[in-house]
Amino acid sequence: MHGPLAPIAWIAVGYAAVVTAAAGLGLVLKAPRPRWLDQLAWMLEALCAVLALGALGSLLRGHRPESMSTHVGYMIAVVCILPVALGSVREERDSWSCGVVAVAALATGVVAVRLMMTR
Amino acid sequence: MTPHDPPRPKRGPHLVLMACYALFILASGARAAVQIATKFHVAPLAYTLSAVAAVTYVAGWFAIRRAAHGRPRFAEVMLWVELAGVVVIGTLSLVKRDWFPDASVWSDYGSGYGWVPAALPVAALLWLHRTHEPVTEPLEEAA
Repeated sequence: MHGPLAPIAWIAVGYAAVVTAAAGLGLVLKAPRPRWLDQLAWMLEALCAVLALGALGSLLRGHRPESMSTHVGYMIAVVCILPVALGSVREERDSWSCGVVAVAALATGVVAVRLMMTR
Repeated sequence: MTPHDPPRPKRGPHLVLMACYALFILASGARAAVQIATKFHVAPLAYTLSAVAAVTYVAGWFAIRRAAHGRPRFAEVMLWVELAGVVVIGTLSLVKRDWFPDASVWSDYGSGYGWVPAALPVAALLWLHRTHEPVTEPLEEAA
């Protein structure tokens, strides 16, 4: 991973790991999902939106990745996973909904890494 | 909802399982679509099997949803089919390398996805077993 987007990508990946750990802890402790976990997850979503916009800007400036369809797929996925996951457990606040947030945050981190690897 | 319908479950491990299945529908479906659309001739078997995996995950998602609503029959079949697919295709990809010039979702038992494809049906079957154990009447009541 290199280039101007790399720092944003690393921050997003690191932050996704923090959200995954926090949500995983909630699941292990069987704690109801706290409001602050949602806020952490939406902060991750904001970071991913910045990352995706940066990647889009790079494409618009003429950069061509090795596989355009794969790169664009990751660009869309990195911003879609968390809102869909949070929406699916909107009315549910028990510990298993923390597990859904953990899975979504982990997947978002992996997709952010893949997005930078396919540049 | 009629009085005979089972109550709608919202809590439980099935939420996490369904989230994992949804992710794999996205991952394997997008992967198969891109590979089939752009380079199908390179590894037709592997890419077709990736599409089959995506369809299996869609069926698995619905199976878990139905099981969580008290109808486990479809899941009892579907999850074993999925596990058999991972084991058979994973084994074939190891012993018949020439059949797989490129990897499918279930190649090497899903090593490209951190072996989650192999763990997922096992976890779902364990959940199914724990939540839908056959209920036996106590001897005193039966007598």
